[in-house]
Amino acid sequence: MKKNKTMIIAFLTPAVILFLGIFLYPIIRTVIMSFFTIEGVTDPMSKWTFSGIDNYVKLFNTSLFRTSFYNLFRIWLIGGLIVMTLSLLFAAILTSGIRFKKFFRAVIYMPNIVSAVALATMWLQYVYSPRFGLLKNFFEALHLDELAKIQWLDNDHKFMALLIAYCFGMVGYHMLIWTSGIERISPEFYEAATIDGANKVQQFRYMTLPLLKGVFKTNLTMWTVSSVGFFVWSQLFSTVTADTQTITPYVYMYMQIFGGGNTVTERNSGLGAAIGVVLSVCVVLVFTVCNKVLKDDDLEF
Amino acid sequence: MGMKKKLLSAALCAAMVGTMMAPAFTVQAADDTLVYWSMWEATEPQGKVIQEAVDAFTKETGVKVDLQFKGRTGNREALQPALDGGTQIDIFDEDIDRVNTMYADYLLDLEDLAKETGYEETANAGLMAACRDAGGGTLKTIPYQPNVFAFFYNKDLFEQAGIEKEPTTWAEFLDVCQKLKDAGITPMTMDDAYATSVIGYHLARLVGEERVVEIVKKGEWDDPAVLQMAQDIEELASKGYYSEMVGSNVWPAGQNTELALGTAAMYLNGSWLPNEVKDMAGPDFKWGCFAYPELENGANGIETNNFGAQVFGINKDSKMAKEAFDLITYITKGEYDKKLADESVGIPSDTTNSEWPEMVACAKPVIEQSTARFTWAAGVETNVDMTPVIKENFIKLMAGSLTADEFVAAMQEAAK
Repeated sequence: MKKNKTMIIAFLTPAVILFLGIFLYPIIRTVIMSFFTIEGVTDPMSKWTFSGIDNYVKLFNTSLFRTSFYNLFRIWLIGGLIVMTLSLLFAAILTSGIRFKKFFRAVIYMPNIVSAVALATMWLQYVYSPRFGLLKNFFEALHLDELAKIQWLDNDHKFMALLIAYCFGMVGYHMLIWTSGIERISPEFYEAATIDGANKVQQFRYMTLPLLKGVFKTNLTMWTVSSVGFFVWSQLFSTVTADTQTITPYVYMYMQIFGGGNTVTERNSGLGAAIGVVLSVCVVLVFTVCNKVLKDDDLEF
Repeated sequence: MGMKKKLLSAALCAAMVGTMMAPAFTVQAADDTLVYWSMWEATEPQGKVIQEAVDAFTKETGVKVDLQFKGRTGNREALQPALDGGTQIDIFDEDIDRVNTMYADYLLDLEDLAKETGYEETANAGLMAACRDAGGGTLKTIPYQPNVFAFFYNKDLFEQAGIEKEPTTWAEFLDVCQKLKDAGITPMTMDDAYATSVIGYHLARLVGEERVVEIVKKGEWDDPAVLQMAQDIEELASKGYYSEMVGSNVWPAGQNTELALGTAAMYLNGSWLPNEVKDMAGPDFKWGCFAYPELENGANGIETNNFGAQVFGINKDSKMAKEAFDLITYITKGEYDKKLADESVGIPSDTTNSEWPEMVACAKPVIEQSTARFTWAAGVETNVDMTPVIKENFIKLMAGSLTADEFVAAMQEAAK
């Protein structure tokens, strides 16, 4: 037993050291930084100025930050509804024994392997173009002239344009997670249900859905984590300077740490750290609520 | 046996931890090698020419150079942490204002080196002055790839509309717009990315950059100049001088599909523009350029422009400062300066390279007439909390969906 203990310590040490060094230390440092005013992100501590909760107060008093948070919330909620619904629908269809399953799965997943830069360029310069765009031509062909005239990238529509483009790419990823969850359910259950006279819709509603609770939790957590980190698409939809419709907390954080646009602007890494802390708290909250509401241990299969 | 095992496992652990941590400590180059973190990508014309210049320099002088292409954001995000961490970086480059402010504490004073080598005899005096100005009165950076922000236009379309003279005043500018409009040509377009430069230039022409910075930082949007500017832009919008796409153009839609393809005549942008759109504009596109026009009772005129450059800086802790300066000279003078200008359709920094690439030659008078300098967007972007709001409302003003009064009201509301 004693020997084993040494071995355990010996083999755990590297992992523990790495965890402490790579995860715990940055977390603690970030939390501490959020209470200071710091110009450069790597400034030595001697250059930090203690400012208490000023960074947090300033954040919530800055309307641009509130805008960015509101945008994030909209992305998470509206985007989440769209992506979760569509991906679950596709997963259900793909696992229902249709032909060319692999082909469709590949097609739906495809946007995930294309670079976001290429995808965004396609949406921005082609699909949404008011001159020769896909949407314009599509609505014109249907003689829906009012819809064809919409400038999808003006301030009033830019958020929706961004959201649609982003969701388009995310559906495939979440569909795969759903699919794996559905495929884990034994086909025998479905056979039994079919014999008992349940149709496909009933099977989905009363068997698949309840058994997917755990997978739903996974999906929701993944969605929350990736939404909170919303950055690249926002940058691509508003190059050089941020935009009120596409700015997210990460973009705001970037502006505070590295400066915004081409102008040399005031920087405060402490404020950036505070944003990081606020976002982490949000993720933990969503995860906790999710765990409380959805208990997946009551069903065993 | 037990002891041996223990020792072995301890050694294995140590090895594991060691190998995982090692990369963090092995980035230092050899002592006799210059390290240059470049703001370019290896695939860009500038990156390619600089690589060539560096290779030739090493061959000629025997000084080894570790050239690392970091890209714009690469340098912006990683340079300062790397310098703070003690990584050996002898030379780095970026925009004139960024290097001279963000990295000011890491810069070596170059006055002596420049004097010893007579660097300034063939350097652009205005840019050297701008570098000294940005460096707080002393020369800490060497400019190259100069640029100027001005109106770039399609000469053929001007000719078609019967315009013979480039406008220098606002009245002449309005006249030019009207003539283009009458000829069935969209006078101007804009992209979201550069919209703030329009408001910046116009406001700064009225009250000067210092005041613009005050307005955006202190939220003094009740300044009468703001309303004046908004009314001027409203007039452009209501007369149909802006493209209909101006409200929804996401860069580079305006410069590519309107200006370069010949449906719009003018576009306020940097002198890098002809290079960016050359493939779309084609070889026959004739470029013209004029400074942002002077406004009535304005604080400054066409002699004040947003011009600048990329600049090289040398690390103050560099052990090879002389060699670093020689390399900078090698890139910014003579053969390689010319090549850099030619390949990137840019402006040479060596005054003896007096022949500019044809596409940007039109910007030469604007640079030569510039005696005073605006920084980027004439300071209108100095308040990051306001920039997106300014951008949103100003684009709406250009697109005609906001009136001048509504613009001012929106800005006052946002600044509260």
